[in-house]
Amino acid sequence: MPVYQDPEDSEITALRKYAGDLTGKKVLEIGCGDGRLTFRYAAQTALVHAIDPSAKAIARAQKKLPGFLHNRLTFWAEGIETFRAPEQYDVALLSWSL
Amino acid sequence: MEPKSMVHALEKTGALLRKNGRLIDIHPPPEPPPIYVRLGAERHLVGWVRETDDYIEYAQADAALTEAAARSLYTWQKRGTFAFVTHADTITELQAHLAETWNDAIIDDRVIQRAEELMASVEPDKEVLLHEVVQIARLIVRR
Repeated sequence: MPVYQDPEDSEITALRKYAGDLTGKKVLEIGCGDGRLTFRYAAQTALVHAIDPSAKAIARAQKKLPGFLHNRLTFWAEGIETFRAPEQYDVALLSWSL
Repeated sequence: MEPKSMVHALEKTGALLRKNGRLIDIHPPPEPPPIYVRLGAERHLVGWVRETDDYIEYAQADAALTEAAARSLYTWQKRGTFAFVTHADTITELQAHLAETWNDAIIDDRVIQRAEELMASVEPDKEVLLHEVVQIARLIVRR
């Protein structure tokens, strides 16, 4: 068996409770890693810009990016310090990254 | 990230948020998370994950958020915790997973040994659990 992280869905449940309804929202995720959490909420948003300074992690995230999210989810291999945001966002998510 | 950089990152993030935009922060507390072996309905504590820098960055993250609020960049709205549990078939698998995802995590040899001893049980329903209690907070950007 591989390792399973949070099969109880506690993290996504807590995120929904704290972020509120993400329908139609523009989200910036900072420290997205390989998109583990990103893929779980992106479908309901208007768009997600997900950044992480690890090019390796972003390459893994891009590889796993499902077709139905192509038009709303973009990954960048960048840290927040250098990120030139093309948007203003409704929600910023610091996912285990501060 | 250095503490000063954390506050700067929070400042930059705030500038990218719309008026009344929400900042959701998720990070672990500055405490070592326990490792358990579950044998059927019983959970046995076998030790904790250590970090080479003793979890200092999580305390610094707490301090950075407090400073950002004190500087009126954000207003606290809500804070809480949730349990984040990682399940593995063996302690070696958990160790390999941490090596990939958590650079400065260390599982001491005696913890590994204790986990392996328990996992040698004839109980068929068994696993290794890493139990993290993670902090989550919602802040609103101030303009």
